[in-house]
Amino acid sequence: MTNAMELYQMLPKTNCKKCGKTSCMAFAVALMARELTPEDCPPLKEESKYKENYEKISEIFKPSEGATETGLIVHEELCFGCGNCVVACPPNVANDPYGVGSGNAPKNVNKLVLTIEDGVVKAQNLEECRRFGKNKILCNGCIVTCPVEAIEFV
Amino acid sequence: MEKNYYVCTGCGLLCDDIEVESEKDKVNKVYTACRIGVAHMKETRGEAKFLVDNKPVDEATAINEAASILKNARNPLIFGLGTSTNETQKIAIELAKKINATLDDPSSFCLGPLAEALIQDKLKTCTLDDVRNKADVIIYWGTDPSDSHPRQLSKHSYFPRGSEKQRGWEEERTAIAIDVRKSHTAKICGNYFFQIPPKGDTEFIDALIAGLSGKLPKTSYNYPPKKILELANILKGAKFGVIFVGRGLIYSLENLEPLFKLMKILNEKANFHLIPMIGNYNTMGFNENLFAETGYVNSVKFENGTVKHGPEYSIVESLKAKTVDAAIIIGSDPLSILPRSIAKNMLEIPVISLDHCETLTSKHAKVYVNTAISGVESGGTAIRMDGVKVNFEPVIETNNPSDEVILKKIMEAL
Amino acid sequence: MDFGSFLAAPEIKVKVITYRDIFQDKAMLENRFGEEYRNLSAVIKLDPADLKQLSVKKGETVILKNSFGRVVVKAEESGYETPHKGIAYMPKSPWSNMLVSDETGGTGVPKFKDISVTVTSAKGENVTELNF
Repeated sequence: MTNAMELYQMLPKTNCKKCGKTSCMAFAVALMARELTPEDCPPLKEESKYKENYEKISEIFKPSEGATETGLIVHEELCFGCGNCVVACPPNVANDPYGVGSGNAPKNVNKLVLTIEDGVVKAQNLEECRRFGKNKILCNGCIVTCPVEAIEFV
Repeated sequence: MEKNYYVCTGCGLLCDDIEVESEKDKVNKVYTACRIGVAHMKETRGEAKFLVDNKPVDEATAINEAASILKNARNPLIFGLGTSTNETQKIAIELAKKINATLDDPSSFCLGPLAEALIQDKLKTCTLDDVRNKADVIIYWGTDPSDSHPRQLSKHSYFPRGSEKQRGWEEERTAIAIDVRKSHTAKICGNYFFQIPPKGDTEFIDALIAGLSGKLPKTSYNYPPKKILELANILKGAKFGVIFVGRGLIYSLENLEPLFKLMKILNEKANFHLIPMIGNYNTMGFNENLFAETGYVNSVKFENGTVKHGPEYSIVESLKAKTVDAAIIIGSDPLSILPRSIAKNMLEIPVISLDHCETLTSKHAKVYVNTAISGVESGGTAIRMDGVKVNFEPVIETNNPSDEVILKKIMEAL
Repeated sequence: MDFGSFLAAPEIKVKVITYRDIFQDKAMLENRFGEEYRNLSAVIKLDPADLKQLSVKKGETVILKNSFGRVVVKAEESGYETPHKGIAYMPKSPWSNMLVSDETGGTGVPKFKDISVTVTSAKGENVTELNF
């Protein structure tokens, strides 16, 4: 996984503000948050000297197959359906404390990020995921509780 | 809207919160159940209904053939019943009495000794609900529930919030795995995985007891004493500890003495409970039902109103010594699950197989009855691995008879 | 000493530990005579050093043999970080049960998780069919 600093190193570092952000570092952070895309930096996109870096960055943020807005990918073929992630996911617990938060079937499906369907984890309501949006944090509750590597963030 | 939950009979956990979308005789979608549960609920069955010598017959012919096999046997074996309801098990016990049978279930070569000790109150135990609500130290010893009982960690032990454990697993619970290999469960336990060599459990228990008593823990395989002391300290601090015991531990011990000693000292220093990781959904039921009737949990032989007990009446020893001369196998497949060197003796005797799918055993049976899938197509009661009684309704309909119905009909035909 | 490596078909001795595997159990529920169950059951997971000594590549078949039986299964790398030369892992199945001793000491409990076998390359022989 790339961090904002590594992204910054590949940007023009001119702080031209054409992207609407105050600095190239701020743009890197916005990229990480998936608030902006590489195309939102006109110099990077248009100037030939940045071509190589533009391609590299675009590759990183290329919408991965099956990836969701938060970058969450479920490798269905690996999933045990054990529900560890469902029960450990902080927004799941907050939104359904007596259902999935207590290890049981969902009582409030509407706001759950992770549920188990036909023995495989399913991701939805990603706006609830703590990796989503401006105040995102790099929560890894669903990853460290998985017996295999069935969930991945890209 | 009140939801309609079903019980999953895919393993000893008997998860009671499963939502199902189904038609009359088909499960289409399953919510909340694990891989195993879903595969169990969606199991498909073979075409054959009643077979004698692998040829289709009607129900009456199959029942009569089964009855005649049992009638002509001097010492028939009744075996299986781990995936049968309490009601079916009780009929099987009656049948055993009636025909002077040897009666056993897979617990005789799995966790039977542990079930017996628990039923006799020789070990402190608790329910899975207690674990969820209170447990702060959880040990998985010689067991990998992630593979065998997939929702064990999420529904009952490590991850759920409980009435006295509101702040979650990171803060309030410690999960520990002791095993000979880094299982999927051990992976989740991270730094609290203690890998020991095969057959190293007894020594590890002794070393742990030494550590708990303030002595230097020693093992012939030089397990770092510091790590054992660290473990002992965690255990000493437990307000509500639980050890989940699997076959990996039981097969490695000569007898249960080391485990009794460990539980004794753990309860002097802290508060510890033990729960067996039973595989089949109603093995505990069989052990309890037979105990209520005979005072033994498995391996019995009925003889004109008396009952004998001992390992010589287990399936393994009776097949090995060829003391049984016919067998009725209910929901089990000894030709697959026993050592071939022993199971092969079953080919020499007439076998009746009651099962919802074809198995190696059914293929070599004289009589085969394709029964309803217990817990999916037929209901009843069962005893969960922690001793809690669970009622369940069938999820879908079937024309296939339940094992309960077939056993009753065989009884009548006798 | 590794005399085995000087022979035409290297042979090693291993202790086999059996274990449960969720996908194998699932495959059994779906079809215990099916290909998926066989592929996930008739497998031995070896230490890379043992594979090397056998001159067997992962995915090739090996013969497991002892006085109780002979079975051909697929050899795989275990993937465990800790080396475990001389110890191998097999999912609990009719294939592993072909190698379990009938010696029980009268206890009624076979040594399911304590199996000693010799391993040699099966030189392309197919995996043993599930049969009696």
